[in-house]
Amino acid sequence: MSERVAVESSAEIPPPEWGRRSAAPPATPWLFALVAALLVVGRLVLTPLITAPALRTWATVFVAICVQALPFLVFGVLLSAAIAAFVPPSFWTKALPRNPYAAVPVAGAAGVVLPGCECASVPVASGLMSRGVTPAAALAFLLSSPAVNPVVVVATAVAFPGQPMMAAARFAASLLVAVAAGWLWLRFGRASWLRVPSRTFPGGSKWAEFRDAMRHDLLHAGGFLVVGGITAATLNVIVPRAWLTSVAGVPVLSAVVLALLAVVLSICSEADAFVAASLTAFSPTAKLAFLVVGPMVDLKLIALQAGTFGRAFAVRFVPLTFLLALVVSSAIGGVLL
Amino acid sequence: MSRMSQSLVLTLLGGVVLWISALTTSYLNYVKPGFRPFLLAAGAVVLALGITGLVQEWRRPYAGAHAGHVREGTGEHAEGHDHSRAPKVGWLLCLPVFAIALIAPPALGAFAARTEDGPARPPATAGSYVPLSGEKIIPMAVGEFIGRAWDFRERTLTGRKVRLTGFVVRSKRKDRWYVTRMQMSCCAADAIALKVAVLGAAPPPDDTWVEVTGAWVPPRSREIPNGTVPHETTTGPPEMTAVQVTEIPQPSEPYE
Repeated sequence: MSERVAVESSAEIPPPEWGRRSAAPPATPWLFALVAALLVVGRLVLTPLITAPALRTWATVFVAICVQALPFLVFGVLLSAAIAAFVPPSFWTKALPRNPYAAVPVAGAAGVVLPGCECASVPVASGLMSRGVTPAAALAFLLSSPAVNPVVVVATAVAFPGQPMMAAARFAASLLVAVAAGWLWLRFGRASWLRVPSRTFPGGSKWAEFRDAMRHDLLHAGGFLVVGGITAATLNVIVPRAWLTSVAGVPVLSAVVLALLAVVLSICSEADAFVAASLTAFSPTAKLAFLVVGPMVDLKLIALQAGTFGRAFAVRFVPLTFLLALVVSSAIGGVLL
Repeated sequence: MSRMSQSLVLTLLGGVVLWISALTTSYLNYVKPGFRPFLLAAGAVVLALGITGLVQEWRRPYAGAHAGHVREGTGEHAEGHDHSRAPKVGWLLCLPVFAIALIAPPALGAFAARTEDGPARPPATAGSYVPLSGEKIIPMAVGEFIGRAWDFRERTLTGRKVRLTGFVVRSKRKDRWYVTRMQMSCCAADAIALKVAVLGAAPPPDDTWVEVTGAWVPPRSREIPNGTVPHETTTGPPEMTAVQVTEIPQPSEPYE
């Protein structure tokens, strides 16, 4: 791990092109005008020709996922860049217990304060790691914050009127899964599986670096968000929901199916309670599995995690979280609901 | 991606987001009305990032314009530290821009409502409706109509004339078509179809927006045992007979 960092940073500094000048004229304004003109022409010429209902439905769902996630992503990237630029690393060593096993539940419980959905939590968690927070603690925060923050708890209570235990069960199960996943990662995880994004602020204006970091993170995370959006929209249009109701009565299978549905739909955690409530044919435990799995594992989140922390991380962490979420929500659903 | 391509993509993205949220109301095809302030803020931040980057590149005409090609494609090793470079996956953000600008995706319509076998029964709303009275035609949301139709104890719809607004989904059965509204809780990806079967009127083409005036048809099997919840698949959407069907333009808020 330390070798890799050394190699990478030596590859970065000093940038070889510093001080060089090229003879290329500035193409920026012309390129920009060209792209804008192409879009306007395309709008006038192409749009009336695209009438296939399947394509338009797909495009609506795809654009809706992207548009809905963008504000949360921007918020998360802003927060992450601010943490990296303006919060000194010493703050985290003071705020979190020094023993990593104690830091995991504290970080998981700290998820209560970040009102956002899962798109915001990935950049924030990566920002925390780059500031020296134990990866396992940052991962517990990553898993818990989209599911236990006040906005989501209130939304769940509103979606299930007369069933206050649903919100309570969701809170308990999500926190439990987050802490358990953090501990398991601490015990069995290897540092080489996880690519911790490093953040350096070499000389120059802090604000310019801040802007550069935001631009970089936004494009990086946004690109993976688009990958997830494409997959989710495609499955959303192709898979008929009638398949679901046919298994609604089967006890264990129904929970597994709803958990998989949560992965496929990639709904924002602030809205998924309303969708769960509309699946009237399913048992409360199956709905709880939907609510616990959704904010922790879904297609756009998998894409974001693989992009941010590396593929070796995602192939291990995603199945671990999925299984934990399924088991814990079944157990808690059996006791509380 | 060089800093210039990054800035270009972000400018386009921010511009498109502001276009659908600030200048037009087409954001209503994708998200809830209450989401507008967040979209405006996000669009403004993204646009500002893009434009400052473009200005920065423009002011510094010679240095940097060429540097973009030197280390392009160094892959993962360039990610995460050198922030003037961004990974190539960022180009994908052009896709939503192109989709919005070129396809101009409309609100979900008959295609989505047909493949979507949403619940006939809206969750947990029954019992909270105001009592109806009088002979006048009552404009009503499709969801409310379905909720009242499912309320077996009160039967508040009996003998009332109501007007529903929605789009047309044609049925395989000859005697009916559906007046439909999509209901979403956050974005169009979670939308479910609310359908009411219309009897006694010729079906307009799919996706036509209509106002249907008519009366509720109580389900034929009236013997519902006490305490049992009828299963969706046996009953299907509630029915109404139409006395008047008027074509209307699509409302600005297409979802319920």
